[in-house]
Amino acid sequence: MKASKARLVSVDGVDASAVIAAARRAIVRPGRGGVSHWDASGIFQDLCVADAAAGAPSARTLLLLYAADLAFRLRWEIRPALAAGRTVVAAPYVDTAVAFGRAAGVPVGWLTNLFRFAPPAAERHFVIAKRDAASEDGFVGLACHRVHGVDRRARRKLIGGADAHLRAEAKRRARRKKQ
Amino acid sequence: MQLSAAALRVARRSARAHFTDPARKRGLLVAFEGPDGSGKTTQRKLFKTWLKSEGYDVVTTKWNSSDLIKPIIKSRKAVRALSPEEFSLLHGADFRHRVEQIILPALWDGKLVIADRFLFTGLARDVARGLDLDWVLKLYQPLLWPDLVFYFAVSPITSGKRVTATRMPNFYEAGQDVTDVEDPVESYQRFIARVIREYESLALIFNMITVDAEQSIGDQHRQIRELFLEGQRRPWSPWNTDAVAEWLAGQGMAR
Repeated sequence: MKASKARLVSVDGVDASAVIAAARRAIVRPGRGGVSHWDASGIFQDLCVADAAAGAPSARTLLLLYAADLAFRLRWEIRPALAAGRTVVAAPYVDTAVAFGRAAGVPVGWLTNLFRFAPPAAERHFVIAKRDAASEDGFVGLACHRVHGVDRRARRKLIGGADAHLRAEAKRRARRKKQ
Repeated sequence: MQLSAAALRVARRSARAHFTDPARKRGLLVAFEGPDGSGKTTQRKLFKTWLKSEGYDVVTTKWNSSDLIKPIIKSRKAVRALSPEEFSLLHGADFRHRVEQIILPALWDGKLVIADRFLFTGLARDVARGLDLDWVLKLYQPLLWPDLVFYFAVSPITSGKRVTATRMPNFYEAGQDVTDVEDPVESYQRFIARVIREYESLALIFNMITVDAEQSIGDQHRQIRELFLEGQRRPWSPWNTDAVAEWLAGQGMAR
């Protein structure tokens, strides 16, 4: 049975390059799985070339766009691969966006509802960042750079906050596993 | 901008004080809702002209019109690449951006904002596409309630006749992404019937003012003027505190 080997694995973190490296390592058998990257839909690429006069988006706006991109990845990459019995590593998946939202002060209830359409990953990995490691090619780095009203100091605080949420989530998962 | 609990508390106080200050001219938000072909845009233009002649400072905002998100949606609609979830989330992002960039700043400055379609459009269309009302409604939180919502009621047949009289409905307008009907006109008739059913439920739940949009243009306009003159005296809705406070805190304006 092909479908029985299908598995969704998530790799989340604020450091985009470390997340990708961890995602590659998570595929045990390269021929039987693949990585679903952030911004497969190109939404954020389009956002980056938008006229600055259009105004900077808020954290909520960026999260709605992240969710739209994730819906695209689920439709075109993740669900078809799972249906074919493959392992899919979603890097990043839901936890990265939730951590960014929490760090920006977005209520947890809103974040939970936003990602209700995303199936839970069978395995969740967290990549803990080195200090200020979020680069602009990852969601957290780009979001912190684009979000309205964030100066350099606040950006660093926001990235640190997102990383702290991911660390806390990783600890919670580890404790639950032990129990 | 990080929204701390303390900043939000201060912002809530500022929002309440600003919008309930009797010495200050209060901003008003008026939404025009209804299916395609219900004549809302005609009525919105007439209403705006009249308001300006009465001395109001008027700002208009239309559905799916933010400079930041509209191009993203437009290019994906052109290649028919959107699922109902993506359609809903992108329109939610466009709405959020306009609330923060256009609507709230204008209300804060005491202006009158006319919204040609508001979040109810997203709710009616997304639910007609099979999405869960509760999920969609929460996407629009923190909710900003208009002072007045005019719902332009027409039958699916009238909507279909008016829309197809001059043009062919486009792929998403006709709901062809969910009806699987090849003929856009036939698909539109089926889809708009679902959308109108949702609108009618929302009009009841959210206490909208229903305007019979099968009446003459002049009669509708007169009715809107009268209802506006009565409705504009309503006090500021405290339900809007969270939406204003989050915007203020995000702008670093809480004080």
